[in-house]
Amino acid sequence: MTTFRLLTAGSAGLLLLAFGRGAPLVFPVVLLAVLLVLGELWLRALAAETMPALARLGLATAAGLVSLPFTAIALHAAGVRIRAESITAGLGVMLLVVTVVVLVRERAGKVADDPRLARTALAIAIPGVLTLVVGMAAVQMYARMPHPPEPGYTSLALNGWAGDVTGPVRIPAGGLMLPLRVSSAGSPPAVEPLRVRVGERLVSARPLRIAADTTRALEVFVPSPPPDGCLHRIEVSLGTTSTVLYGRGVGAGAGVVRGRGVGSC
Amino acid sequence: MTLTEARPAERTRPVYAPARSRPMWCAASLTVAGAAGAALLVAANRAAEWDRGTQFGLFWLGMLVFTLPAAGWAVRRSTSTRLRVAVLAGYAGFTFLPKLLRNPFGPLYHDEFAHWRQSKEILLDGRLFEQNPIVKVVGDFPGLHSTVASVSALTGISIWHAALLVLAAAHVLVVLGVTVLAEEIWQDGRIAAVSAIIYSLNSSFLFFDTQFGYESLAIALLVWTLVALHRAMRGPARRSRAGWAAVTVMLSGATIATHHLTAIALIAVMIIICLVVTVRAVRRGTPVAVPLTAWGLTLAAAALVVAWLVLVAPRTTGYLDPYLARALDQIAGMAGDGGGGGRTLFRASVAPWWEQAAAFGAQGLAAVAMAAAALRLRRGHGTEPVARSGALAMLVLGAFYFPAALLILTPSGAEGARRSWAFSYLGIALVVAPLVVALLDRPVSRLGKTTAAALLLAVGAIAMIGNTAAGMNPSYRFPGPPVFGSDTRSSIPEVRAASAWLRATQGRELRIVADRYSGLIFGSYGGQNPVTGSVTFPTYDLYLTQPGQPAPRQLIQQLSAWRFGYLIVDKRMAREVPEIQIYFETNEPVPHDGRPAFTLGQLTKFDRTPWTIKIYDSGNIAIYRFDFARAGR
Repeated sequence: MTTFRLLTAGSAGLLLLAFGRGAPLVFPVVLLAVLLVLGELWLRALAAETMPALARLGLATAAGLVSLPFTAIALHAAGVRIRAESITAGLGVMLLVVTVVVLVRERAGKVADDPRLARTALAIAIPGVLTLVVGMAAVQMYARMPHPPEPGYTSLALNGWAGDVTGPVRIPAGGLMLPLRVSSAGSPPAVEPLRVRVGERLVSARPLRIAADTTRALEVFVPSPPPDGCLHRIEVSLGTTSTVLYGRGVGAGAGVVRGRGVGSC
Repeated sequence: MTLTEARPAERTRPVYAPARSRPMWCAASLTVAGAAGAALLVAANRAAEWDRGTQFGLFWLGMLVFTLPAAGWAVRRSTSTRLRVAVLAGYAGFTFLPKLLRNPFGPLYHDEFAHWRQSKEILLDGRLFEQNPIVKVVGDFPGLHSTVASVSALTGISIWHAALLVLAAAHVLVVLGVTVLAEEIWQDGRIAAVSAIIYSLNSSFLFFDTQFGYESLAIALLVWTLVALHRAMRGPARRSRAGWAAVTVMLSGATIATHHLTAIALIAVMIIICLVVTVRAVRRGTPVAVPLTAWGLTLAAAALVVAWLVLVAPRTTGYLDPYLARALDQIAGMAGDGGGGGRTLFRASVAPWWEQAAAFGAQGLAAVAMAAAALRLRRGHGTEPVARSGALAMLVLGAFYFPAALLILTPSGAEGARRSWAFSYLGIALVVAPLVVALLDRPVSRLGKTTAAALLLAVGAIAMIGNTAAGMNPSYRFPGPPVFGSDTRSSIPEVRAASAWLRATQGRELRIVADRYSGLIFGSYGGQNPVTGSVTFPTYDLYLTQPGQPAPRQLIQQLSAWRFGYLIVDKRMAREVPEIQIYFETNEPVPHDGRPAFTLGQLTKFDRTPWTIKIYDSGNIAIYRFDFARAGR
C-alpha cells in the first residue's frame, strides 16, 4: 500500500474515532487499524527495508501500540489534559509527521510492497476471531451459570448531616433526631434491636424490621446529656453493628460549654 | 521452510514443501479442541466455586486438549508457513483464556487494582504520573495504563474491556515475538514455533503475564526490542543498521516507560548479547560492526533507563531495594542457621500432589534440557556470526533460570525469582527448541517419530503444569469461597459496599488508613488514597495498640499533619489468619504464629476513643473518622 493511502486510511480512522458515536463494537477495530497504519509508517520511516511478513506485522503492531503512551506522555509534557480529543489530535499530528519522514525517505527509493503481508495478516486474524468467539461464548456461559451466593451483610451508617460530623455534636436541651441509614444485602429478612445509649445509659430500645436487599433511612431520638461541659459518648446499635459519635449537652440559653473531655468528667 | 519467510540469503536449511498442510482440517480440529478446552476451563471454575475438588484435573484437561494438538500442528514438518503462524496465533489466543475466565468482569489480582485505578484516574483527571496508593511506583511507569486509558477514551469501551484488548494483543505479540526472535537466530520455522511453545511453558505465561499489570505489556516490548536489536546487528549496511537501531531505541524507550523490572531485564539481556558478540569478535574475528552496534544500542537503552529512573521515577530504587536486600539477608540467614530463615514450598497449598511433583519435575527437566542444549550448541551451529552469538547469549540467559531457585526459598526473594523466570525462560526456550526438533527428526520409522512426539508432548505438559503450579497460588488461579487474607478472594460484597458508601457520601481521594485487603478495594473501586503502613509510617501501630493504651503520639501527629481523615477496620483480622500471611505489608512487625495476630479488643477499641467517630459499620468492616483535635485529651 502506498504511503499516501496509508495516510488517508489512518486519517479517516482517526476522524471516525473523533466524530463517530455509538459504535462500541466497531471502534476497537477502527483503532486497531489506525494503530497498525501508524506502526507501518513508523517502520517505513525508521527501517525502510523489506522484512519477513510476520516480523513486519509484529513490529508494526508494537510500534502502533506504543504510539499511544508516547502520545499521552507528549501531551502530559505539553501540559495538555489527556482526553479523547487531545489523544486523537496527538495521534493525528504523529501520523502527519511520520508520513512526512517516510515521504522524504522514499525520495531515495521505495521499498517494494510485500504480497505475503495480507495473507499473513489473515493467518493471524482468522484464529484471532475464532478465539474471540470461543472466548466470548465461554465467558457468557460462565456468567450465566448459577454461582454460589456471596456472604450477606447489614450495615448501619450515620446519614445526612450526621455523616459529616467532624467533632462533638452540640445537643440542644430538647434532644435531637439523629439520621441513620440501614442497608441489607444478601441476608434474609430479620428483626434486630435498635438501641440508643448516651454514655453507659440505655435511653431507647425497639425492634427494627430489616427487609432483605433494601436500603432505608430512619431517625432516632437522642436526648440531651447533662449540660456539664463533658463529652458524652452516643452509641446507636442495630444488632451487632453500631455507630458512635460524641456530643455535649447545651443548657437552655447557655450556649456551648467548652473545655472538658471525657477524661475529666 | 522458515516461519517468517526470511530473505533467501538467510536460508541455511532445506525447504520442505508444504504439500500436505491440510489447513481446513487443522482449523476445524483446533476450533473443536478450543471449544472443548474452553468448556472444560469453565467447568474447572465451576468446580472450584462449588468446592467440588475436581478443578485441577478439569483445568489441565481443558488446557491440554487444545495445547497438545496445537503444538503438534505447529511442529509438524509439513505444516505450511502461514498455517504455522495461524496455529501460533490461535495458541496465543487460547492461552489467554484461563486468566480471562478467572476474572472476566473486573480487576482481581493485587496489581490489577493499582493499574485499573491509575487508568481510571487518567480518564477522570487527564493527568499522568499521579502517585498510586496501592503500588506506589505504578504512576511513574505510565506505558500500560496510558495505553488502556487512551483505548478506552477513543473507543468508548470501559477501562476493563480496554485493558483486556491491550493485554490480549500483548499476549499474542509475546508468542509471535518469540517466534520471530527464534527465527532471527535459527532461521528455521519449526524451531521458531517450538521456541514459542517452550516459552509458553514458563510459570508466568498463563496467569501472571496476562494480568492487568505493567509487565504483561512490557514483556512483549522486550521481546520485540530484541528482534529489532538482532536485525540492527545483522544490518548489511550502515543505513540499514541505523534504521533498526532507531526501532530498537524506540521500543526500549517504550519498555522503560512501561515497567522498571522488565527494562532492567532488557538491559541485562542486551549486555549478555554484547559480551557474547564481543568475545566472538575478538576470538573469531567476526565483523566489528556487530559488537559496535550491540554496545551502542545497549548504552543508548541503558541511558534511557537510567535517565527515566533518575529523572522521572526516582522512587523506584527505594521501592525495589528492600526486596533484594531482604532476599539476600534471608539467603545468608538460611546458610547460617541451617535453612531456618527460608520458606517451605507449597506450605499449606491446596494444589494436588501431582501438581506439586510436576513443579519439582519441571525444574529437573529444564536442567537436563539446558545441559543437552549446551552440549549440542558446543558442537556448533552454522557460521552466521549474529545467529551464533544470539544462540550463545540465550544459553547464558537461560542459565540464570537456576540461581533463581535459591531466591524462591526465601520469603522476600520468591516473588522476584518467579518474575525473573519469565525472562530467563526466553533463553531456555530459544536454545532447547533446536534440540526438540532434532529429537523429533531423529527416529527413522513412523512409530519412532510418533513415540518421540508423544514423549516430548508429555514432557511439555509436565513443564506447563509444574511451572504454573510453582508460579501461581491456587487462589489466584481458581475462584472459590471467600478467604480472608487472600488478594483475590477477600473482596466480599460487604467490603465493596463499604467503599462505595464512603465514596458516595464523602467523595474520593480521601486519605485513609487501612489493612492490605481493604486498601485494595477502597483504593481502587473506592477511589481513595489508602496507606497500609511502612517502617517510616507505621500506621499498623494504630491497630496493634492495646485497649486502654494511648495511640503512639508521633503517629497521631503524622496522621494529623498529613490530613488523614478515615480509619478502616476489618474485624476478620481478630478471627482469621490471612491466607498469604500478610495483614498490612510484607515487613510488618506483626506476629505470624498461626493464630490471629489481633484481639477483638484491639480492633473495637476505636469505639471508645473520642478521637474516632464511627460513621459506618457492617459487622466485619467499620469506618471511623479521625477527630485529631480530641486525640491528646
